[in-house]
Amino acid sequence: MSDGGKAESKIGKESPIVRAGEDNFGLAISRIAVAQICENVGFESFNESALDSLADLAIRYLLDLGKTAKFYSNLAGRTECNVFDIIQGLEDLGMSSGFSAASDVGVNCAISSGVVAEIRGYVESAQESPFAQPVPHFPVIREWRTIPSFLQMGETPEFKHIPEWLPAFPDPHTYIHSAMWNERVSDPRTDKIELARQHRKAERALLSLQQRLVCNGLSVASTSVEPDTGGNGLEVNDIKNQVLANPLEAGDQDESPVVLPGKLSGEAHMENHISLLETFAPAIEAMKDGLSDSGNDGEKNFSGKRPVVLPSKLSGEARTEKRVSFLEAFAPAIEAMKDGLSDSGNYGEKSFPGKRPAVCLEFKGGKKVFGESLDLRIRNKTNGRTAPWFGREDEKDDKKRRVEFILRQSMENQQELT
Amino acid sequence: MNAQSSQQQPNDGRHDDDAALTDFLASLMDYTPTIPDELVEHYLAKSGFQCPDVRLTRLVAVATQKFIADVATDALQYCKARQSAVVKDKRDKQQKDKRLILTMEDLSKALQEYGVNVKHQDYFADSPSAGLDPVARDE
Repeated sequence: MSDGGKAESKIGKESPIVRAGEDNFGLAISRIAVAQICENVGFESFNESALDSLADLAIRYLLDLGKTAKFYSNLAGRTECNVFDIIQGLEDLGMSSGFSAASDVGVNCAISSGVVAEIRGYVESAQESPFAQPVPHFPVIREWRTIPSFLQMGETPEFKHIPEWLPAFPDPHTYIHSAMWNERVSDPRTDKIELARQHRKAERALLSLQQRLVCNGLSVASTSVEPDTGGNGLEVNDIKNQVLANPLEAGDQDESPVVLPGKLSGEAHMENHISLLETFAPAIEAMKDGLSDSGNDGEKNFSGKRPVVLPSKLSGEARTEKRVSFLEAFAPAIEAMKDGLSDSGNYGEKSFPGKRPAVCLEFKGGKKVFGESLDLRIRNKTNGRTAPWFGREDEKDDKKRRVEFILRQSMENQQELT
Repeated sequence: MNAQSSQQQPNDGRHDDDAALTDFLASLMDYTPTIPDELVEHYLAKSGFQCPDVRLTRLVAVATQKFIADVATDALQYCKARQSAVVKDKRDKQQKDKRLILTMEDLSKALQEYGVNVKHQDYFADSPSAGLDPVARDE
């Protein structure tokens, strides 16, 4: 099989990486066919390796025969093969094993060749056993989707030197970066303003609630205990329970707020009923003094975890918040104090209330309460200072600032409510 | 077919041969070879064999089938010869050995005559001198 070298190298040359080989389908079919032939011959079973070798051999024989026949037809000046080419090819391949009338090869006509006789004999003697399963036509040729030409696309090429039957150019949007149409123009300033507006809305709601509570408390607390005036008490009750987790100062219990309608069943009423004036007086005093407080206030718990408006806190930390809430409710009285506050020298950079500075806006979502932005400002301020964090002076400043902030908001609310 | 028609010259011997050949090719169509036509067509196309005639592909298929059958027959002979050589064993073993198995050994011996060298490795060694006698290894 000297000529078969090329064909074999074509088949056998595969990369060492195991992948779907070129010829797996043909090999598989050949295996089945060869197995059937061997079964007809008389074998009962095979070794796998032997079967594979024989199948491979059959394929090589086919290729060799085809190549030889093609060679002979080309030699005769043709491209298409005929029966004589095949017979000659068969003679070539059978030379090694020999066949009858081999000496007459090339001398006589190929028709009387021995191989033909042998094949004929084989056909007549061998039993017919067609292939077990239907074999589809292979290899399956995949239809390639070609790029449509200019003519097919219905376009005309831009340049004159391009004929119409050539493939069309890709659409410009595939290679030119065109600006995307933005539905919403995002302006950071307008976004901030919008956010501030929403915050203010929330604060307004809180304020109105608080005012309602105050009104209720006023109507109730000044005279006697009255039962629950509505859902407000429940709300307040819950918050109060949360707050009760904090340690209570002994001396502060008397300062419990007035605005607690309806939760007074079983509690010491006297604790909870303090007249407005009582709470007011210390509040006013505190405003004037700069809101000096007991040592608990150093904790800076007004950082926004609890809303300032809560009048129901019993802990000492809540005192300022309490007072501040009352301040909000009675804004006109507070206004007079405001002038006094703004005169103090600690608020260097604060603008006059009534105009909300943009720097106050806090963009932390969800937890925005009165004290938060104030807190940030305070922090920013104190970062520059070297004073101790829990120093009294800082507290005073903080509280002053907070009060001012709330005053400002209340001013705004005043405008909106009236 | 061109060659056939050109050879229809006043020669009775050849005429008979032609007739025989055409008859033979016609008879080929009745016989369905074990090797399917699609497989044969694929490999013939791969090798450059160009012919639209189905009979020729059948001829090639039959020729290949004959070749494989010859090889298998020879291997069978070898197998049977080996089995008869082991006759001296017990009856049971004979009955078991009745199964004719196409082994690599028989195949390689059969193919030797056809000029195909198929040598199957029984085992794989990590050095060329593995399994050799110490004397041979020294050499």
